[in-house]
Amino acid sequence: MHRMKLLIIGMAMLLPGQAVAEVASKMATMYKNPLCGCCEDHAAYLRHNGYDVKVIASHDLPQLRAKHGVSEALTGCHMTLIEGYVIEGHMPISMINKLLAERPNIRGIALLGMPFGAPGMAGPKTGPFTIYEIAAKATDGEPRIFAVE
Amino acid sequence: MSSVFMTRRAVLGSSIGAVFATALPRRAAAAVGFNLAAAPAVAPLGANSANTSVWAYNGVIPGPILRARQGDTVRVKLDNQLAEETTIHWHGVRVPNAMDGVPHVTQKPVTPGENFVYEFVAKDAGTYWYHPHQRSFEQVDRGLAGAFIVEEKQPPQVDREIIWVLDDWRLDDAGQITSDFGGMHDTTHSGRIGNWLTVNGRPPENLVVRAGERIRLRLINAANARVFALGFEGHAPQIISLDGQPVEPHAPEFGRIVLGPAMRADLILDMMGPPGARFPISDNFYPGLEYSLLALVYAPGAPMRAEPRADSIRLPENPLTEPDLAQATRHEIVFGGGMMGGGMMGGGMMGRGMMMNNPMAWTVNGVSATGDVHEPILSLQHGSSHILALNNNTAWHHPIHLHGHAFRVINRSGNPTRLREWRDTVLLAPRERAEIAFNADNPGDWMLHCHILEHQAAGMMATIRIA
Repeated sequence: MHRMKLLIIGMAMLLPGQAVAEVASKMATMYKNPLCGCCEDHAAYLRHNGYDVKVIASHDLPQLRAKHGVSEALTGCHMTLIEGYVIEGHMPISMINKLLAERPNIRGIALLGMPFGAPGMAGPKTGPFTIYEIAAKATDGEPRIFAVE
Repeated sequence: MSSVFMTRRAVLGSSIGAVFATALPRRAAAAVGFNLAAAPAVAPLGANSANTSVWAYNGVIPGPILRARQGDTVRVKLDNQLAEETTIHWHGVRVPNAMDGVPHVTQKPVTPGENFVYEFVAKDAGTYWYHPHQRSFEQVDRGLAGAFIVEEKQPPQVDREIIWVLDDWRLDDAGQITSDFGGMHDTTHSGRIGNWLTVNGRPPENLVVRAGERIRLRLINAANARVFALGFEGHAPQIISLDGQPVEPHAPEFGRIVLGPAMRADLILDMMGPPGARFPISDNFYPGLEYSLLALVYAPGAPMRAEPRADSIRLPENPLTEPDLAQATRHEIVFGGGMMGGGMMGGGMMGRGMMMNNPMAWTVNGVSATGDVHEPILSLQHGSSHILALNNNTAWHHPIHLHGHAFRVINRSGNPTRLREWRDTVLLAPRERAEIAFNADNPGDWMLHCHILEHQAAGMMATIRIA
């Protein structure tokens, strides 16, 4: 009961009034810690790149990641869903475009942590970003590299 | 008089009495004894499953309410029936160091099947709580926590006293506690915050009140990480105590009572609404996740009184040692780390290898503490006065708890505090600086740590030595 109430209130607060993107079909849903500020900056970045971003504040990121097959090792800051793919962390738009163009048989892609210079993060970029694949089936091995950006 | 331990049945019985009047007869200081058995149990947290597997004291969630009178000698025998070592920390109680319950620092942890007897004088009246200090991020979260109430010799006159132990739980679809303790997201963000709330171990239920009634409400935040900010619509609560220590009665700032993990507040609530009325108590700490905890529901029938009770609500002082600010030594303490902290989580240092191999994410004065025993960051002379300037150099809230002492919060963000409140835990907002002052009147090695238990476990802890 209470869990449901929390969810509904959380969604009701955020559904109305979101910016309308130039292309209405480009939808993104972002799950984020309610007190984390940089996620909002990444949402603004995605909006600037034409996405209609629904931001959902949640305490349940670990459970949501488990449901979407994202292992602990591939945890970014926030989790975004775009066209059935999971986007972990402060992903550059070029990587999202590459993913959607190639449509590989994976769950999604991950940029770990909160590196300086990533979209929505402060500071200059200090080195190339390694983007990992979130495999369709969880494995114990090293994750595959999707791209270095 | 009796130093015999109460039977388990008797303790259980007393725990049911969460609500009762305070018109108790006065008596001289005495010895009071309790047995606490820490063991696996099932509890009706009221989630999808009627019975959630928990770890509990004496089989109940929260643990039994332990009550003593100020000046009593309290003796508690802990029986460890868990499959791992444990201890009990008497949060906010100024106990002798050997009774503080910090494993390998103040005592050997109590191994499975063994017991330990805690004994101390309840010098201060107030609202305290007890919980393990061994792997507390899991042991407390699984349910090991309870209220410890020390009654004033002359308590304020109220019609009813109520204790709310607030807690949250992360339950899976089957209503069981998820075992993802120490996860990276929780550790580097705001800790393990649950998806299920309880008040006294049950889903929040509306509180039926009588018009005109005066209630003393003792609030205890037993959650690992959740901060509560409670607003009482249609009412004017007066805070009379913070972290067990008396404070000048006052209305909460911005009308909401903010309780970080481990923090307590005693409120006086005069129920001056009309019979039949209903007023929600809301929690609006987390933006976008506001909710109503429960409602005050006025019973029908004539009010008990037309005007609030005229009795004083001010609590008698506790015997605390006033810090000598003119002679006090100032120490800078810096808390760092975490997501958006600008330190280790940024740039090229953040990578898979680091995440997997080095879960340490938080620091005190640049050091991320590991293990149980730490080189003290400060060595203070017994009886001397000190100001700790606590600098939160992170993007997150941290409830910072000092063991063995109460301290005055004298300054926040450069502004002297109006009430100079005594506390044992101060909630630092992101980037906030707070100054606390205390007299180092209790010798021993004492912990200073964040009470978001995932932050503590990931290094946000330190030791202060007083000798």
